[in-house]
Amino acid sequence: MNDITFELNHEQVTITADPSLRLLDVLRDRLHLTGAKEGCGEGECGACSVLINDQLANSCLVPLANVHKQRVTTIEGIATTKEGKLLQQAYSKEGAVQCGICTPGMMMASYALLKKHPHPTREQIQIGLSGNLCRCTGYNMIFRAIERAAKEGEGTW
Amino acid sequence: MVKHIIPNSLKEALDYMDGHYTTIVAGGTDLMVQRRNWAELPPTFTSDPVYVFHLSELNYVNEDDKNVYIGAVTPMSVLLDHPATPQLLKDAIAIIAAPGLRNMATIAGNIGNASPAGDSLPILYALDALVRIQSKSQNSLLPIAQVIQGPRKTILDNNELITEIVIPKDPFTFQMFRKVGGRKADAISKVSFTGSVRIEGKHVTDLRIAFGAVAPTVVRVRDIEMEYEGKTVKQLQQQVKSLQEAYATYIRPIDDQRSNKEYRMNVAMNLLEQFISSLKEE
Amino acid sequence: MNDISRSIPKLDSVPKAFGNERYVNDIRYENALYAKTLRSPHAKARILRRRYPELPAGYHIIDHTHVPGENVVNIIADDQPVFAADRVTYYQEPILLVIGPDKRVVLKLMKDIHIEYDIEVPQFEWTDSVVHYHFTKGNLAKVKEQADKVIRREYHSGYQEQLYIEPQGMIGYHDGKQVILEGSLQCPYYVKNALIRTLNCADDYVRVRQATVGGAFGGKEEFPSLIACQLAVAIEVIRKPIRLIYEREEDVESTTKRHPSHITMTAYVKDNEILGIQSEVGLDGGANIGLSGVVLSRALIATTGVYTIDHLDVTGDVYRTNTVPNGAFRGFGAPQMLFAVEMFMHHVAAELKVDALAFRQRYLAKQGDHTSTGGTFRDPIIMPEMLSRVLDESDYLNKRERYASPDSHRGIGMSWVLHGCGFTGSGEATHIKARVKLHKRTTDEVEILIAAVDMGQGVKTTMTKLVATILDVPMSQVIYDNPDTNFVPDSGPTVASRTMMIVGGLVARAARRLRDEWNAGEDQWIEERYVQPDYIKWDETTFHGDAYPAYSWGINIVEVEVDPATYEVTVLETWNIYDVGKAIDEQVILGQADGGQLQGLGLGYLEVMNHKQGVIQQRNVTDYIISTSVDTPPMHNYLMDNPYPLGPYGAKGAGELTLVGGAPAVALAIEQAIGKEIHEIPVTPERIMELMNDE
Repeated sequence: MNDITFELNHEQVTITADPSLRLLDVLRDRLHLTGAKEGCGEGECGACSVLINDQLANSCLVPLANVHKQRVTTIEGIATTKEGKLLQQAYSKEGAVQCGICTPGMMMASYALLKKHPHPTREQIQIGLSGNLCRCTGYNMIFRAIERAAKEGEGTW
Repeated sequence: MVKHIIPNSLKEALDYMDGHYTTIVAGGTDLMVQRRNWAELPPTFTSDPVYVFHLSELNYVNEDDKNVYIGAVTPMSVLLDHPATPQLLKDAIAIIAAPGLRNMATIAGNIGNASPAGDSLPILYALDALVRIQSKSQNSLLPIAQVIQGPRKTILDNNELITEIVIPKDPFTFQMFRKVGGRKADAISKVSFTGSVRIEGKHVTDLRIAFGAVAPTVVRVRDIEMEYEGKTVKQLQQQVKSLQEAYATYIRPIDDQRSNKEYRMNVAMNLLEQFISSLKEE
Repeated sequence: MNDISRSIPKLDSVPKAFGNERYVNDIRYENALYAKTLRSPHAKARILRRRYPELPAGYHIIDHTHVPGENVVNIIADDQPVFAADRVTYYQEPILLVIGPDKRVVLKLMKDIHIEYDIEVPQFEWTDSVVHYHFTKGNLAKVKEQADKVIRREYHSGYQEQLYIEPQGMIGYHDGKQVILEGSLQCPYYVKNALIRTLNCADDYVRVRQATVGGAFGGKEEFPSLIACQLAVAIEVIRKPIRLIYEREEDVESTTKRHPSHITMTAYVKDNEILGIQSEVGLDGGANIGLSGVVLSRALIATTGVYTIDHLDVTGDVYRTNTVPNGAFRGFGAPQMLFAVEMFMHHVAAELKVDALAFRQRYLAKQGDHTSTGGTFRDPIIMPEMLSRVLDESDYLNKRERYASPDSHRGIGMSWVLHGCGFTGSGEATHIKARVKLHKRTTDEVEILIAAVDMGQGVKTTMTKLVATILDVPMSQVIYDNPDTNFVPDSGPTVASRTMMIVGGLVARAARRLRDEWNAGEDQWIEERYVQPDYIKWDETTFHGDAYPAYSWGINIVEVEVDPATYEVTVLETWNIYDVGKAIDEQVILGQADGGQLQGLGLGYLEVMNHKQGVIQQRNVTDYIISTSVDTPPMHNYLMDNPYPLGPYGAKGAGELTLVGGAPAVALAIEQAIGKEIHEIPVTPERIMELMNDE
């Protein structure tokens, strides 16, 4: 057991835990933030996506030790921001949400993508989401949601 | 019970590793899958995990006239965006997994895991990359091919850590990397091809070819390369069949859940041919 | 009034996007125990002896001896035990649950359980037919004699895994009066009825609640009944809250998939005319029959696809093998059959050296034609209009000509499909007998009480919109919660593209009645029951009559490029047009179109799954390949209005239609790109290599 301290959604948290625990489990089980989902447990599906120091990461592959003294943002942290709302509205308007299990992870990937490319090309969008599997939507409506969020959020990203 | 070590410096890590059984945890992208447990339980470690991903002294890309120096825990995404990263390595990284994973994965991790399908490895072989291995008392620089001994097997001793990858800046005229996976992103290689040449006038003066995922380790055969170096581009292109035959004895693919032998062999040969036929005289 | 098709934002998209929606794995009961399934390591064996370890206080092993009622999961065929008793018939078949508060201890106990098996020789060949159907139309024997040419082809398709991103899971507890289960499921009443049989209990002793479903695609049609029965037995014994959540590998290895198929089609031809067709269809049912017979029926009835052929002889078999049981998957037997028939029509045309498009147009069904089972296509068929539109949009004819040269490495393929809406045959009237209720509270809020599940297809939004539109009240005045069997009547399962057409039809009828009887401020209840239109006649034994009340229609055009060095396929673009009667929400249907097509394409060229000695080889998301965002092509989807008189606002089925044509369209495109006939899907690079190297 070690004390692991990190910034979570702009608040300092300290957890006494096995440092090898998956960040995903700590978020869901210990901190009751269930927005990140487990779809595969091996970093392929992206349903567990979070940001670590503003960079997209699969929280099912991150040992808790690796976020010690780092900054973690989850979908719950994005939800209250202007960018998060912009994205959510764009997802709604474009019909980009079906069963929704991939959506929080997809939102995180979209957020990271737009922060890096405020005016993304279709190809950049496709690559930006390539680690987030969706079995319902066929992705096209998600692409359009991101394009909409880029346009309607001009200057925000 | 294992002890978890979160060192404050490289020195602290090496000091602890000296005299303890340890497992190095970098980005975790491979290890956390291998050691995965039932959800909510910690992964299974039988020796003390030493976490090194946060060590900033191992996170850098530097260059001088001769070499590019890559710190062991530099994430692949940083390499992808860095101007000093060799283009061939960028080409490979660009289709390793997906952005989230590339933010955590490291090429030192690829080396440490020595997976036959590790996509950065053929590039490192082709570019004659050197691997710096440190322990509390030693510091050595070894060619990549010596470091990797077999699938999931390296030369590293328990007290040793990969700290840096050194890539010589050799002048190349034309390079090609091609990965064939089950889909266009987020896939594990069925086969990969790396080719790199220097052409001076009509002559091929430096020829490097590496195949990934078609044998227990990366296939790069210096003897074959030397046999064809010094030939003209035209000669090389005329002799492509014999070049293919030469490699065919080294390519020993397997049948598995992702593909089969025949396909891997066929595609490896096709890509070799494509590479050779696309060469042009200077 | 606005056109009902005009899109509105989905009601659940905000909580889903922000991660606030509760899926089964997000629901936490205090002090819940964890359950893990011990499974068979053999494909076929007798269980000789079991040695269980001594259990620490608070830990339990639950097996077949604890089942109070029948040790059978109520599906259609009674051959799936809740827990294997004296024999196992497939690798990973569940034998028992180990349950307790600490996962580490549970895992340790799993290791200490010793089961002695007498290993038997497993059956993997398709020889043990457990369901056999045969029907005819016209008189094939007679036309065989007239034929001047016989053209025969065999088609094969492999497994397809639903790969919902949320693995299977169920949690539950006992509240002193009832066993209460919450889970990721499509059919609350399938689960409830299975529980009653397994627990041998009164109807009101069990309660099933739907947790938000993270994808289903048929994979959560019958399978959840199995884990629900196991969990209910455990709760009945232990009387504590228990969680049973699958990990991905466990899910892929042990849950139902799309049936692999072998289909042989034989055309009897005279003067370049097809006189009649013989089809022989085989499906791999896996170790249990389950609902495979119904899957087979749908496949057989689709034997001539969109074409009218006067003389047919159709046989089908489900084979039992010692492999993971196969079951429901979007399309339900139709994708395999439509792949075969679409390829076959092209292959027959090629062998007759006639233009495939003109050849197929000759047989395209028209209103009033007889279906494969001698029923009638009663409603207008607008395929010619659809065809002309989509040919224009895609520039199909020019491209087809341009890509005729193999050097282009490109191809364009076009499939024509139909999908029978609702249950096959008389299932709706004889088995389901759907009931729906509307409840108007004294606040004038209206509750929709149905058992239909929103699993991403948007039914919460469309059903609410339907009622709000009819009542002419704001959407916010209409309530549609996740179904709970304590409150909703059995409106049937959420399957077979029946939800909007059948359940929505009843809901619309109830809403119209409520509108007419509306008394502000009064508590009102309206109930509607399904009544089969009397002109629909179906004979289950002879497969004769109207197999479906209505049909949806579609055309898929797919353009591909094949890399000559790596044999990889790139899907460049697709054009698709659908007649779903009337879209209750355009965007919802277009979402089905995108997603259904990507799954259909996956079945056609990408998604490889096979077993070795009964062990699934692609057991995780790394090895079972589905499309990523980079693989997905631009898709152009067009909807046509062709209202069906008995559907709400004219709506027919839509969810499955968008999948069924993907595989033949992409296979036909690849066929053109490589200049070789294709008989097997998925058309992998490995297979393309073999075809291209086979001179």
